[in-house]
Amino acid sequence: MNIVSTYTWCQFAPAFALVGLAALLILADALLPKLPKRIYAFIAAMGTFVAAYFLSNGEHADSFGCIASIATGLSILLAFDYTKVCCESIAGGDNEDGTGEFYALPLVACAGILCLTQARDLVMLFVSLEVITLTSYVMAGYFRRNQGSIEAGIKYLVLGAMSTGILVYGTAWYFGMIGSFNLGPETVIAALKGGVAGSPSLAIGFMMSIALLFAGAFFKIGAAPMHVWIPDVYQGAPTPTTAFLAVASKTAGFVVLCALALPFTQFAVPGSLIGKVLVTTFAIVAAATLLIGNLGAMRQTNVKRLLGYSSIGQAGFILIFFLQLQGPVTFFVCKYLLAYALATIAAFYAVAMVRTQRGSEEIAAFRGLGKTNPRTAFLITVCFASLAGVPLTMGFMVKLYSFVTVISVIQNWDAFCWLLPIMVVTAAAGFYYYFKVLRAMYWEKSQPGVPALQVPLCTSIVLALCAIALIYMGTMPLLTLG
Amino acid sequence: MNMIHNLPWLFLLLPLVVAAIDWVCLNKHPRLAATLSLLSAAATLGLCIAYLTGLQTGTPGVYTWMPCSLEQLCLHLGLVMDPLAMRMMLVVTGIGLLVHFFSIGYMKGDPSNLSRYYAGLSIFMFSMSTIVLADNLAMTFIGWEMVGFSSYLLIGHWFNKASAADAAKKAFITNRVGDFGFLLGILLTLGFFGTMNFADMAGKAAGIAPAVLTVTIVCLFCGAVGKSAQFPLHVWLPDAMEGPTPVSALIHAATMVAAGVYMLVRLQVSMGTEAFTETACNIIAWTGAITAIIAAIMAVQQDDIKRILAYSTLSQLGYMVMAVGLLAGEAAMFHLYTHAWFKALLFLGAGAIIICCHHEQDIWKMGGLTKRMPLTVLCFMMGTCALIAIPGFSGFFSKEAILDAALSKNPVFFWIGAGVAALTTFYMLRLCIVAFMGPARDHGAEHAKEAGFTMALPLVILAVMAVISGYGFIANDLVPFNGFHAHGFALGLPFYVSMGALALGILLALAIYGLGGRTKDPLAGNCISKALRNRLYIDALYDKVIIGGLQQGFAHVMEFLDCYIIRGIICQTLVWFTVRIGYLCSWLQCGSLRAYTLVSAMGLIILILLLAYQF
Repeated sequence: MNIVSTYTWCQFAPAFALVGLAALLILADALLPKLPKRIYAFIAAMGTFVAAYFLSNGEHADSFGCIASIATGLSILLAFDYTKVCCESIAGGDNEDGTGEFYALPLVACAGILCLTQARDLVMLFVSLEVITLTSYVMAGYFRRNQGSIEAGIKYLVLGAMSTGILVYGTAWYFGMIGSFNLGPETVIAALKGGVAGSPSLAIGFMMSIALLFAGAFFKIGAAPMHVWIPDVYQGAPTPTTAFLAVASKTAGFVVLCALALPFTQFAVPGSLIGKVLVTTFAIVAAATLLIGNLGAMRQTNVKRLLGYSSIGQAGFILIFFLQLQGPVTFFVCKYLLAYALATIAAFYAVAMVRTQRGSEEIAAFRGLGKTNPRTAFLITVCFASLAGVPLTMGFMVKLYSFVTVISVIQNWDAFCWLLPIMVVTAAAGFYYYFKVLRAMYWEKSQPGVPALQVPLCTSIVLALCAIALIYMGTMPLLTLG
Repeated sequence: MNMIHNLPWLFLLLPLVVAAIDWVCLNKHPRLAATLSLLSAAATLGLCIAYLTGLQTGTPGVYTWMPCSLEQLCLHLGLVMDPLAMRMMLVVTGIGLLVHFFSIGYMKGDPSNLSRYYAGLSIFMFSMSTIVLADNLAMTFIGWEMVGFSSYLLIGHWFNKASAADAAKKAFITNRVGDFGFLLGILLTLGFFGTMNFADMAGKAAGIAPAVLTVTIVCLFCGAVGKSAQFPLHVWLPDAMEGPTPVSALIHAATMVAAGVYMLVRLQVSMGTEAFTETACNIIAWTGAITAIIAAIMAVQQDDIKRILAYSTLSQLGYMVMAVGLLAGEAAMFHLYTHAWFKALLFLGAGAIIICCHHEQDIWKMGGLTKRMPLTVLCFMMGTCALIAIPGFSGFFSKEAILDAALSKNPVFFWIGAGVAALTTFYMLRLCIVAFMGPARDHGAEHAKEAGFTMALPLVILAVMAVISGYGFIANDLVPFNGFHAHGFALGLPFYVSMGALALGILLALAIYGLGGRTKDPLAGNCISKALRNRLYIDALYDKVIIGGLQQGFAHVMEFLDCYIIRGIICQTLVWFTVRIGYLCSWLQCGSLRAYTLVSAMGLIILILLLAYQF
């Protein structure tokens, strides 16, 4: 076997830079124990933003990487406002010992995502994915004085290991069937024709490997049936980590899914067996994901857990885009992810703020915010409205595109009509559970004597920017969706 | 900068941005808010004058707001810059600026949140400019709804007063009825003309069946019925007088209520008059005529100075709509334009009087104002002369134009117009005699003093416009109509009849009210007066029969359907299923790692079956 590298060093420059920055920060943490840890958070966040800037245009433009870096940066900044809880849960009291790595680790994970977006073969894909996952295990269990965090860490580790196992197994099948790790249309076509030997059993084995690989990707994005880890881990993990998992790590999952599914483009025509099988699979998985995510969310009272279910439900709407197999799938996935990322990150900022000052992550802790902090409450309203898909927010536009996609798929294949009612019902369910938070803010009275929230600087800036971006892109769809 | 061709977008963006700033940032700084709003109105007026005096910046860019694969379904935002639009903009921004200026004096010392007030004015300027400059019906509709919204905000500015809050609601809901028809009309236009763009409508009417055209035009006309307060949806306008008086002058006299007429003329110009079938024209003309008559009759027995003016606005709008129905768009726009100046003058004059009489609006509690505030009264009299069409004042020229058109198309409308003119003269002189002459009848009027500079200046400017704006040398350049040309004045039947009507009105008013000696209305106290004061019981009819009877009955039926069929059967079943699935999910999500692994493994098997089994 002849391995010829198809990569250039240039492609990985942002990733290397981030890893270097992370190494520097960890060194500094060890050598300069007196330095306030917040400085690390700030530097790390700025580093990701710079990376995002370089990825946003130019030769190596990479929208997935851009979204992921911004999300990572914002979740590090979230830790910046969350220091009080971080110190309490790591070293106890006001002691900042050992919190430094917490700000540096996401950089490594982010570097993993940036490598992942460049991957054109399964080895690269697997290695970068593991960089992300291994870092995430540590981050999920980082609050060692917090039982929930430890439980989350363990659960994520065990289930994550299972998914890694499946992924490796799938990779082995892939290589076994076609003797190459390459991901690309030519490989797929060759494999489905039975390879050099022309044997039909090869196609079965190939599809087997695809099924296993899909399962690995589904684990990352939280699609049914591999979604089970999400509610528990999201609820237990430190809020900054949850924000990272919900947005950056999910973006990574979609990168993998795009890399695996899009080589099948030319089978998207109605009538081809392989196309039908793929579209059916995506339809069933999307429907199950939508139902589990959105209906499961309805009974939740903990906002982090609710956002966990919401992230499953939103992944269902994104999966819908894969039904067309052809056309600008990545474009729509990116747009949806952007809308989801902006709103979800802002929501986690709100949760963190309420948790720090009112000591609870329940919906009830949001009570009376509309009275005590009207402006913040409005910004939170915009974000949750966007998640639910209220018109004039970006969330509406992308959900609309999801519906449009499904309708065109139904027309093309003359099947899958049952998807539409499921989407309608689950979108409606979304309105119910997202608005539970809004109801608490505006219609329910807080306990007497609960003071107004002091909105930290970072939180207010991020909330305002996210809300403005969501409304701007919702009212000017051409500029962003054209 | 090659963006210069997009300069006209400032007409929309400037007031919008100012409104947002006033609203969000300047809640505690009403003076700054007022200054910003005033500056934005002045800037748009300056821009408008620049364009009218020959500034050329090329075609403004069209912005595709909602892209769509079908070209005619895209929502575009574009601007028309023809004389019809630009001269209308002059009326809007000119009166807008004067009203902003007047408001500074009028609202001084008002305890309400003035930043909100100026934000409301600015958002109105934005919405009205959107209607005027819109190059397609969809954009018109957006502006249409936005003016409704700003009118709601401004009528209800003193929302602590129950009557103001109710009036705001009434105006909004009544407009909603008309807007429903308008929306249908827009969809019909899109369906049959294949476009919403005014520029592409020309000549398409020829290929469409007359019945379809009639329905389309009548539906579009519904929008005008609501916005321009035509019978039977006129009920909101008199109530809208609960808002601050400068608002009444700007929105409920000069500009917004005229938007209906503007929209109809815009359609007539772009679709061509052949699109307006005979039936549609008759419906439009008769609606206008009926509104003109009943409003004029009701005005005769009103005591509130603003309500008298409101009914007179209704009746003048009736004239304009009638002219549109007679396919005399030129005359309609001429009257719209002169009416805007003199009616704004009358309202602002009334505002000055109200403030100086310490918030007294009842004309029977005024009196003797000629001596105490001569300048205001003089300006008000100028406006009155223009309204009752005394030769030489602006209203005379435009009313003559409408009467000419009526006589040549259908003499019935001519005689209706003449009758309304007599009534107009009568009730306006009644107002002037009672309020300005004789002795003061109440403390407020006794201590009245001349209005301050900020209020007097707009009055004087408007008074000048009320006098001169009708003469050909000004009108030819300023009347919002493409290629407007003032007709030479000729003695003839219309002139003699309108002089007769004028004389009749003056004589009757003098005979009944003398020279201001009376302390109460000699016409009051009988059943006719009572009916007129109760607005011919039309509002009561709506309340009792339509809202109380029909709507409530319908609501009961719908409630039954909602309660038992939709909520009872359909929703409960759905909820039952949804909740069960939710239970299933949470049962799966029990927290046990083993269970999770099991679920994932089962899922994996299903996935493999789905993907690989069929090969």
